[in-house]
Amino acid sequence: MTENAPIVRFEHVSVRFPSALANDDVSLAIRRGEAFALVGENGAGKTTLMNVLYGLVRPALGTVIIKGEKISQRHDPMRAIAMGVGMVHQHFKLVPSFTVAQNIALGSEPVKNLVFYDQKRLNREVLALSKRFGLPVNPGDVVDDLSVGLQQRVEILKALHRGADILVLDEPTAVLSPAETDELFEVLRSIVREQSMTVILITHKLHEVMQFSDRVGVMKQGRLVGIVNTSETDEKQLAAMMVGRELLFRDLRAGEPSDREVLTISGLRAMDDRGLEAVKGIDLKLHAGEIVGVCGVEGNGQTELTECIMGIRPQTGGTVTLNGRNISRLKPREIRGMGVSFIPSDRMRTGLSAEATVMENMLVGKQRQTEFRRFGVQFRKRRATSYAKALSEQFDVRSGGVDLPMKSLSGGNMQKAIIAREFSFDTPVLIINQPTRGVDIGAIEFIHEKILQKRAAGCAILLVSADLDELFRLSDRLVTLYEGRLTGSFVNGEITRQEISYYMTGGRQEVRA
Amino acid sequence: MSRLRILPALKALIAIKPKQKLTAQYLLSLFIAIVLAFLVGAGIMLLCGYDPIECYAALFRGALGKPRAFGNTLAKTATLCLTGLAMSVAAKAGIFNVGGEGQLYFGGLAAAVVGARLAGAPAWVIVVCALLAAVFAGGLYAWVPGILKVKLKVNEVVTTILLNSAAIYFCSYLTNGPLKTAERGISSGTDSIAVSFSPIIRLSNLNGSIWIAFAAALIIWYLMTRSTAGFEMKITGANERFAKYGGIRADRLMIAGMVISGMLCGLVGMIEVFGIHKRFITNLSAGYYFDGMLVAMIMRYQPFGVIVMSFFFAILTIGGSAMELSAGISGEVILIVQAVIIFFMAAEGGIRQSLRVWSAKRRVKRTHAKEAGV
Amino acid sequence: MSDVFNLLLLQNTLRTATPVVLCALGCLMTERVGIMNIGVEGMMLMGAFFAVLGSYLYGSWVMGIVFVIVLGILLGLFYYLFSIKFRSDEFVIGVAINILAGGLTVFLLRTLFGVKGSFSGPGIVPLPTLHFTWLESIPVLGTILSGNTLLVYVSWVLVILCWLLLYKTPLGFHLRASGEAPEALRAAGKNPDRMKMLASVLCGIMASLSGAHLSLGYLTMFSENMSASRGFVAVACVIFGGGNPPRVFLAALLFGFIDALGLRMQKYIPADITAMAPYVVTVVMMVVVVLMKRRKKRQPQEGR
Repeated sequence: MTENAPIVRFEHVSVRFPSALANDDVSLAIRRGEAFALVGENGAGKTTLMNVLYGLVRPALGTVIIKGEKISQRHDPMRAIAMGVGMVHQHFKLVPSFTVAQNIALGSEPVKNLVFYDQKRLNREVLALSKRFGLPVNPGDVVDDLSVGLQQRVEILKALHRGADILVLDEPTAVLSPAETDELFEVLRSIVREQSMTVILITHKLHEVMQFSDRVGVMKQGRLVGIVNTSETDEKQLAAMMVGRELLFRDLRAGEPSDREVLTISGLRAMDDRGLEAVKGIDLKLHAGEIVGVCGVEGNGQTELTECIMGIRPQTGGTVTLNGRNISRLKPREIRGMGVSFIPSDRMRTGLSAEATVMENMLVGKQRQTEFRRFGVQFRKRRATSYAKALSEQFDVRSGGVDLPMKSLSGGNMQKAIIAREFSFDTPVLIINQPTRGVDIGAIEFIHEKILQKRAAGCAILLVSADLDELFRLSDRLVTLYEGRLTGSFVNGEITRQEISYYMTGGRQEVRA
Repeated sequence: MSRLRILPALKALIAIKPKQKLTAQYLLSLFIAIVLAFLVGAGIMLLCGYDPIECYAALFRGALGKPRAFGNTLAKTATLCLTGLAMSVAAKAGIFNVGGEGQLYFGGLAAAVVGARLAGAPAWVIVVCALLAAVFAGGLYAWVPGILKVKLKVNEVVTTILLNSAAIYFCSYLTNGPLKTAERGISSGTDSIAVSFSPIIRLSNLNGSIWIAFAAALIIWYLMTRSTAGFEMKITGANERFAKYGGIRADRLMIAGMVISGMLCGLVGMIEVFGIHKRFITNLSAGYYFDGMLVAMIMRYQPFGVIVMSFFFAILTIGGSAMELSAGISGEVILIVQAVIIFFMAAEGGIRQSLRVWSAKRRVKRTHAKEAGV
Repeated sequence: MSDVFNLLLLQNTLRTATPVVLCALGCLMTERVGIMNIGVEGMMLMGAFFAVLGSYLYGSWVMGIVFVIVLGILLGLFYYLFSIKFRSDEFVIGVAINILAGGLTVFLLRTLFGVKGSFSGPGIVPLPTLHFTWLESIPVLGTILSGNTLLVYVSWVLVILCWLLLYKTPLGFHLRASGEAPEALRAAGKNPDRMKMLASVLCGIMASLSGAHLSLGYLTMFSENMSASRGFVAVACVIFGGGNPPRVFLAALLFGFIDALGLRMQKYIPADITAMAPYVVTVVMMVVVVLMKRRKKRQPQEGR
């Protein structure tokens, strides 16, 4: 095989899911030893295509040729691994209570005395492996205690341990800080250069494509719409290919925030689910008609902060004051009653009930209003249904009917349903966590407009997002959160992305509340 | 650093939720499961040298053949229905009450004590007081595991199961000790109560308590399917975290579900005492609550379904003992038939899925064979 | 009270704890792969019946044990088929197994032996008691530890074996991974369902063996519903043993101690109260464990 011969070749691959064609006649050749990026919007079929390679999905038509060998009818991860394919999934597949070494060797543990697992030998092996690829880890650490970045490193080592020379990474940077992202790409580039590995990166962030790849494939609605050399393109062109049109991000903000303080947080402390302190004394003020954007890498206390304000999570210190009233000890129901709405980041766990119907999901919180009650006890189902229908229309929630279970909706529509419910309370304060994660571009724009309408109506909004573009687009003020503390506070427009990512990783401590 | 890890199975158990609705497809599966279960029962009868047709005929005759038998079946239906609804109302709110047996005992005992102590008072006073006492006792005994679950996250399935045994022994202690009666009977029990329900059909177990049961079932049905509280319970049961976030008082509703469940069980205890035994006896219930629980599970905690299915299970139970007398086969074969129905229904979705996969595979094979033939 | 608190009490503790220990070990296996099997109660009951059946039919305790092991494997496979393969609600399946056990044992008792209530007789050969001369020479320990029935010793060995299996062998790693992170195991090319099957079968065998101890070791008879919620106590033991074999063993011993104490206190306290004690204590223990965990959690830990 020559240097540039394809190591992986997709030939007319089509994958059909019950709802849609996930991959539509995709043909793609990836060369040995290249850094290849696959970009596209959410739902464009990138991950599905790679799952075909890894044997998690079987194509309806077409085939894949790995190193000159056709994948078999019964292609599965085991066979893919044997052919040298390794995949690092978006959600890590690690056993939390096991050590780094145990996770890396899961399924192929070294054995001594016939039956017992040989810890010493394994730890030695893992150390050698981590040295060889420049990915330092401590084999004896328990994975649960590691940072997300380190957990990802363990995932990569796991793939390498099994002898992968084709490494697929699915959205690896979603959970990483900018510094960690840079480090990851550096390691990956060096692996590609020095070990002649082939790395395929799935992403929807265009600057990562530019930073990392040699070549890039663009996917749209299940189709591969183009392959270009990274050096011959730019972000704008790629974006146009991804969505089929030039994206115009209008500046939507209008009007100035008022001076009226609505929500005051002082010295707030809280613990995470594991009992570790996650919010370590936060002071923050929210004014009417203002959007305060919280920048930070995920897992630095954002979720805990928002849950504390809503009373879902107990506070261990400090106070939250709403219009001069201390709400620190109140229950979510009471806080809602005083005029706070909340869009949580974990849709499926907190934001909605997957088994309940769309109507039930949209009505929660209003079921005790006289409009939906008869004699003070009976639930007026018919009225609730027509209300849910009207609300769906208003917020463009597309469902097969409001009496179907919520889980039958797509991610974007679920999120719109949540937003419809929370915005319809007409509360003066909104706590919004990750409003557009996993939502397609059209819906993102719709959601942004709705948020800004709320701002124009004089709401005080706390916006948490992992997407800096979103924060810069919507916020009046930006604060940075690092390890449970605010490390900076800036007026939007007075700071650049590079500067803010410095604060996001704890670079400087400068708190101006 | 201490790591608090919840055991995986505990997590899974917490995640058990009253899932799907009753669909036409499900009801069809139920019918098939019942037929299959009867066939399994027939197989066992054949193995043991009995004629299945004769046995089953005896079963239905024994349950429905005579007014007296029919009365017994109806009385049994009431018991199953109340216990089944007790399970459903808690399960819908996301909390499992497996301790109905204990609540039933306490309810029965409380009713019997009140019924005996109030001798001389007008009949209706006695009945109302006994009813209140029974409902209170049952509810209180359910409140304990409920509050433990909500405030301390102590697994309610295990605590309620264990509290069953504790209650039964405790009632037995009371009847053999402080509440010991001078009267003689087959089993030890308390003093006889002053008034009791008179049978509606002569010599049968069907008595005035059926009206109380009917009213209770109606209230629960309304609560679960038509009321705002029922709506909130459903949301809580489907996703507790979401309910709390949405401003529903989930904790309170879960405790309420548990307590209502316990109250219903207490009521069943009272009906047993006032309708049948005329006093509290140490073996008041032969696992009545567990029978009701299964009915509830099969019907996916849907109140109306529970009421219908109770009648069917009552036929099996009453007919089972009649079958033992007339056909000579041990009535426990009916328990096996019931268990088989439950196995099939619990696995309904999975079996259907497996069948689909299997038939799809066969179809693929057949088309391959055809292509090869061409 | 010296007639209560003496060496015999400790010996009785071991004897009464054994069925719970065995059953809890079985339950622990399924617990570790992510299934809470409350059907162990029924498995225990069926084990008790089939042990008597095997022993009676062939006049040998060995056949009793063989019957029980075969039964355990079948029950394990059955449980696996329904709760994993058909993805049914494991709680419902557990309850159904308990119902089935209640019905089937009574049905067979009447059909095969023609008796109601209980079956005993000279035809049933009990499990042998083992005497270790070297142990008996030690004064106190010898009296307690020697002269127990076979399954008591088997249960001790099994505690150690289970611990070794779970924490020291690759197979154990796969078992634990299949409960904690099945996707991780699947990505490693191992089928988590296989591990669950293995755990179910091990659970079936151990839960059935615990029944054999009831009917051939503890007593030499079978009576209706003789498992008397011990299976549920075993489930509770697994919960506060935190899924760790030695700790589960200690929890079961505590149960055995209270049970044995109760039996010996009957002179002083009504029998019903002593019978009630183990269940109440188990519930109280569950609460205490939670409260203790809470207190630990409340002390804030700085940093990572």
